[in-house]
Amino acid sequence: MTWWRRVFNRDSLESQLDVELRDHFDRLVRDFIAQGHTDSEARRLARLEFGGMDQVKEQCRDARGTRWVDETAQDVRYGLRGFRKNPGFTIVAIVTLAIGVGASLAIFNVFDALLLRPLPVSNASELITFTRWNGSNPSESFSYPQIRELADRRDLFASLCGIGTETVYVGPAESLEPAGALWVSGGYFNTLGIRAFAGRLLNASDDERGAPVAAVISHGYWRRRFGGDLNVIGRQLRIEGQQVPIVGITPAGFNGAAIGEPADITLAINAKPVLQPEDDSFVGPDARWILALARPAAGLPLEQLQARLDVVWADLLARTLPEGVSAETRKRILSTAIRIESGAAGASRLRRTLRSPLLAAMALVTLVLVIACVNVANLLLARGAGRAREVALRLALGAGRARIVRQRLIESIMLAVAGTALGVLVAWAGSVGLVGLIAERVAGRNQAQMFLDVAPNWRVLAVCALIVVTTTMLFGLVPALRASHVAPGAVANSTRVAESHTRFSAALIVAQVSLSLLLVMGAGLFTRSLHNLRTVDRGFAPGNVLLANYDPSRLALTPPQLQAFSQSILATVTELPGVGAASLAAITPLQGGGMSTDMIVNGVSTAPEEVYFNVIAPRFFEIVGTSLVAGRDLAATDTLNAPAVTVVNEAFVRTFLAGLPPLGQRVAYPGATREMAIVGVVKDAVYETLRAEPPPTIYMSYLQSRGRPMTIVADARAPMADVTAAIRGAVQPKVPASPMRIRTFAWQIEQSLFEARLMRMLTAIFGALALGLAAIGLYGLMSYNVALRTREIGVRLALGARPSLVIRMVLANAVRVVGLGVIIGLPLAWMASRAIAQLMFGVTPTDPITITTAVAILGSVGLAAAAIPARRAAAVDPVTSIYVE
Amino acid sequence: MAAHPKSDLPQGTLDLLIMQVVVPEPMHGYAIAQRLKLLSRDVVQVTQGTLYPALHRLENRGFLSADWKPSDTGRDAKFYKLTRKGRAHLEAEAASWERLTGAIATILGAAKGEAS
Repeated sequence: MTWWRRVFNRDSLESQLDVELRDHFDRLVRDFIAQGHTDSEARRLARLEFGGMDQVKEQCRDARGTRWVDETAQDVRYGLRGFRKNPGFTIVAIVTLAIGVGASLAIFNVFDALLLRPLPVSNASELITFTRWNGSNPSESFSYPQIRELADRRDLFASLCGIGTETVYVGPAESLEPAGALWVSGGYFNTLGIRAFAGRLLNASDDERGAPVAAVISHGYWRRRFGGDLNVIGRQLRIEGQQVPIVGITPAGFNGAAIGEPADITLAINAKPVLQPEDDSFVGPDARWILALARPAAGLPLEQLQARLDVVWADLLARTLPEGVSAETRKRILSTAIRIESGAAGASRLRRTLRSPLLAAMALVTLVLVIACVNVANLLLARGAGRAREVALRLALGAGRARIVRQRLIESIMLAVAGTALGVLVAWAGSVGLVGLIAERVAGRNQAQMFLDVAPNWRVLAVCALIVVTTTMLFGLVPALRASHVAPGAVANSTRVAESHTRFSAALIVAQVSLSLLLVMGAGLFTRSLHNLRTVDRGFAPGNVLLANYDPSRLALTPPQLQAFSQSILATVTELPGVGAASLAAITPLQGGGMSTDMIVNGVSTAPEEVYFNVIAPRFFEIVGTSLVAGRDLAATDTLNAPAVTVVNEAFVRTFLAGLPPLGQRVAYPGATREMAIVGVVKDAVYETLRAEPPPTIYMSYLQSRGRPMTIVADARAPMADVTAAIRGAVQPKVPASPMRIRTFAWQIEQSLFEARLMRMLTAIFGALALGLAAIGLYGLMSYNVALRTREIGVRLALGARPSLVIRMVLANAVRVVGLGVIIGLPLAWMASRAIAQLMFGVTPTDPITITTAVAILGSVGLAAAAIPARRAAAVDPVTSIYVE
Repeated sequence: MAAHPKSDLPQGTLDLLIMQVVVPEPMHGYAIAQRLKLLSRDVVQVTQGTLYPALHRLENRGFLSADWKPSDTGRDAKFYKLTRKGRAHLEAEAASWERLTGAIATILGAAKGEAS
């Protein structure tokens, strides 16, 4: 009989055993009778020879090899009985663990999806991706000519491909819907080595200039938009107003090799100028927007590949240089280095921004998990102390210590499994929420949606299992070992045991308090950072300003036509009811990204310094609240026929015009003949990020520049929703092919604070959790203490101690524990916050306000937790206390 | 009962003896015990606490198979019989046992020879 059948047929085996042994016994008796013994004598002799029936049975059970299963089942049943008898303990323990596990898994899941999860392709570990390093500035983006040149190096790469991401609009003009598009070079699917789910995938011939445009759609998009209809192959899909045949579907579970970006539709890069004619330059050397992914040539070690690539790269850069760049720019581009990185998890732009916040978040949740474990350990210890008599009794009755340790560990494992199971639910919700947050951020920046696959996978499950094992060891082992160290004599006297328990437990609470201090201080520092970021003088005020992006590029206007178009848009919006004032801008503060170049100031190049520039309409400064320091604003009369003028900021004056009166100084683009005169100086305003000082910036009139303004900046005097609707109604018909994006200026600023808000939110949540857990732990310890000392307190009160003294005694005890925790926690907190200093703004880890607040919070939470046990202590009745034991 | 002192069985030999006993025909536990006693002329005494676990172990390892069949008492008894796998195992074990005892006997004999 196989082992597992022996486990499951336990009952039938037992009855068979009984019959078999009884049969043997009966035969013995029969033989003794046959030898002439009397009936009762025969039975006595048989019993003598046979030995104890139960001992024999027990030995037979041992031989079955399933004893530990029976015992484990016994322990599990025993554990369940204990949990049922004590539901409060059970629920607190499981929920505590679920919070710790759930928080950890939620963060890990996102971290995994973004950084670790290998692409679902064969030999994903071979894949490599590339980063360009311009000095200390990394970028993952390459130009299309660079990708083609690299892909041609068959001596270095078995295959190499480029992946660009840009949203496309699908459907008829009146109901355009955005879809995430991957624009890939011809080698994309070959590099990945995946097969089509249906139809065919794109190959090199699809990415030739002039090749017919073909679309491959993802399995998910196929299910979502076409309801999984296989007849879709060969059908036309209307993309950017043009009919494109669907030639194939990618396999289920594959979401493109650009992590964090949706891959609904995959198109060849060379189809981009066909579908989006205004983006003709995207296949030229100017536009660096493509991620690169490759498989190295067979047998070429990565170090060698890197070394040979370094040589090839310098040459390649020179050949793919954009035309007409200044000598300085040329030099800068040529000094760029290229680095190979692992591409097993795909290529991604999100990673670099999110890695450090996610790592910091992982550290935070690990703390929460440890605190949760410490808490449960404490609960188990208290429970164990209460059960010391029971253990002593069991030891006295002959139970082995190992058995008792094992029984306690099984209880811990049961708690850990239940906690983890509940935690997985918490984690799933948490991951989805976190991805939603990040997606909002990405959407705010470049209008694309974000896609991150957070479906649970074996790696996450492995982490779950690891968490169960570690947490069990963390919170279960010590209490279990301590439980077995009860002397059988302790049945009569458990006070000594309880006292040693209290000391150990207090140490755990001290650890908990220190860890909580870490989190509470983190929350404080990030709250202060966020506050600083929100209140820092950015040189503008969001007020009631609306920002409305419109894109005229699809209209194929000549520069003079474009200026007339912009003028008409401005006029239309200014006339709208509810709009106080309106202007235009190419770049709005904190939208993410910007334009910069070296310039010629009074005949001298600013290189290597760069000047940021913006193209605006009159009244821009007035609307966004940037004050004019000297001179005048750009005016409607500053047209192409009038003298060229510009407005600069104070940083520009400080950097390039030291000592000169700014008004009337001359600025020009490198290589341009026309010079612009400075007619005004404005206050410094934040440009790309709140974390950097405002850079030198110049502002040019849209009527004198070829730059295209794309954002309407309007001061709303009526409810935002009404004004938004009015602007959309008036402007959208003029740009039918491109949906407008309208948001408030305030929202755009909040969006730019994403990392700071994320960290504040995470530390606040985790800090609150940690505090709550520490409070529960402290409350438990103090209650236990008071219960333990009831007799002593009763005696004190009987001898005339005042209740307030008793209260003070208990509180002093709590203060000692919290104080020690704070003393240990502060240096830890300083060290930890140094590691995340770059995520903070305007505060130092030793910020006295944060420290004072954090300590005060911990102190009050500690006192509050101790208050109830203290009152209980003061209310002890001296008479009944004597009978407590 | 007997003049000889009772001997403890070396580890593993009980299995060998049990399998040898059931070679001719299927037997129930009591019969196996009686047979062992008889064949070893009372030298080997096997208690029920050793016999039954050994039987069950052999059954679990697939060397013996068991059937419940009517017996002489009129009730069903559990009859053990040697499986093909058990037979192969028995032959291998018996051969190795003979080699071992042979070697020991030779050594003891040689030592006796030298002493005299």
